[in-house]
Amino acid sequence: MTSLRREDDLCRDGHGAAGWVTSVCGMVMGQAMYRTAGRPGGPLAVSTAGLTKRFGNRTVVDDVALAIPAGSVCGFVGPNGAGKTTTIRMLLGLVRATSGSGTILGGSLTEPATYLHKVGALIESPAFYPQLSGRENLKALARLGRLPLAAVDPVLERSGLLARAGDRYRSYSLGMKQRLGIAAAMLAGPELLILDEPTNGLDPAGIVEMRGLIKSFADDGITVLVSSHLISEIEQICDYVVMIRAGRLVHQGSVADLRGTQQAEFLVAPEHDADRDLLARLLQQAGCTVTPGNAGGLLLVEAPGAGPADLNRLAARNGITVRQLGERTRSLERAFFALTGTKSADVPDGQEMGAIR
Amino acid sequence: MIWAAFASEWTKLRRPTLFLSTFVGLAAAASLFVVLMFSQASPHGGIVTLHQLAQPNGLVIGVARAAMLLGVVAFGIAASQVASEYSLGTLRQLLVRQPRRAVLLAGKMLSVITFLVLALCFAAVVALAVAIVAAHSRGVATSAWFTGTGLGDMFRELGDLALATIGYSVLGMALGQFVRSAVFAVIVGFAWLIAVENIITRIVPSTQQWLPGASILAVASGGAEGVGYGHGLILGTVYLVVAIAAAMAVFLRSDVTA
Repeated sequence: MTSLRREDDLCRDGHGAAGWVTSVCGMVMGQAMYRTAGRPGGPLAVSTAGLTKRFGNRTVVDDVALAIPAGSVCGFVGPNGAGKTTTIRMLLGLVRATSGSGTILGGSLTEPATYLHKVGALIESPAFYPQLSGRENLKALARLGRLPLAAVDPVLERSGLLARAGDRYRSYSLGMKQRLGIAAAMLAGPELLILDEPTNGLDPAGIVEMRGLIKSFADDGITVLVSSHLISEIEQICDYVVMIRAGRLVHQGSVADLRGTQQAEFLVAPEHDADRDLLARLLQQAGCTVTPGNAGGLLLVEAPGAGPADLNRLAARNGITVRQLGERTRSLERAFFALTGTKSADVPDGQEMGAIR
Repeated sequence: MIWAAFASEWTKLRRPTLFLSTFVGLAAAASLFVVLMFSQASPHGGIVTLHQLAQPNGLVIGVARAAMLLGVVAFGIAASQVASEYSLGTLRQLLVRQPRRAVLLAGKMLSVITFLVLALCFAAVVALAVAIVAAHSRGVATSAWFTGTGLGDMFRELGDLALATIGYSVLGMALGQFVRSAVFAVIVGFAWLIAVENIITRIVPSTQQWLPGASILAVASGGAEGVGYGHGLILGTVYLVVAIAAAMAVFLRSDVTA
């Protein structure tokens, strides 16, 4: 990559296809980055060491060492069957770890009673008594946890269910059931909120609502651990991420840092289709990896150490006018596939991009 | 803490469908036995004679004969109350709010037992009222029922029925804990109490005094042929202690994956 000059500020540079270039920074800022993850070395809400769970001969969670900063919104990502739910159940004392240790909010993993009063959880699909109203369901949980019954209506209001709180749970839509699950998780005024696939089964409007709720929890200073197989979903709401695959920890760290490790990738299209092959060759000679795009004469270009201005300059120097030049978002999905050594093509048939299952 | 689990469970038990169906159902079952008893009674024989019904314990004969049916219903309700926590998936919610499993199970058992004993008491009161009406319609003298002996017999029988209800409830909850399916628990329990024990007893009569259902039924009836009251009470208690210990052991050690 000797013929390309690094140039991040196209406006200052004064060259190239002004208005077409979207910087990485701009792309990231366009997304919902709600909070800043806890600083390295800061207090941890959840820490585990060598956490392992075996069912018979099958190891479901294997030597997982979590370090989730207090105050972060942590995405827990992995395909279905990766061990997310089992890990969460171990954190909640529902499943006994085969080996390993851990601390949650200062309490030992082996003594859930020492910390669960500070934890709220929605585990998989919400589960309540169908013949009781939403309010009665929460009252049953409040009585069990020796919480004031006066705490019930405020959490119902916050989750947008107060108007239907007197209706039987079985009459609720899936979105309402999910919101009741969130309300139940909030009942104890938790310091740590664990949400297992909270957007499962929700329609787009419900997903947006759920994002808003999670954002509001984070704004209140609650540490949120949210698991999902939808990386794109996690990407929009989390500032810290834990990636797991086949029961093993793949990566954990801040989302910003993870994105920073991703190599820049650009979409380039010459004004005239006839120039496409020439442009591709020039880019390859400059050390880029070039893949034909799906449509419109686009080229997908991996350009290590280069910026969009460098690509534009190279094209212009060789008499090619660039019609389109943009940078692809450095997505967590790509990071996940890179870290696990898989490609999006490895996703089983029938499953859309943006969702690893 | 047990009180919190107890109060929480009562929030669920109070739901109208369960509450009404249990209380009205048990009352209807006990009353039906009383009506049948009085309608089938004859001066010289049958299930019971009119002379027997006029004795001090005549008031509670019908209710006592309904013990098996009441017990089976109590068993089914108790089993489903525990097993449905698994099938509904609500157990995980409960354990997050009360991670001390022994406390949770103890509170649940106490609340279900009190619920069923109260339902039994309600059923007994209704059935006794029905017995008074039925006695008048059949011309059975009731003066002996309200003597000191008669009232003593009544309270003793109700006490025995309450003990038997506790026994059936605990066995039901223990089975619900083991099989984790309300339907399966009820089927297995009913099959054992109604059919299997009868078959075993017919094949090997001497086993009757060692079977759990027969022991509890003997307590409910104030003693039965082949199983004395004291023997039933002691053996029934042993069965209950073992059932509670086994249910606790399973619950404390098991992973909750439902």
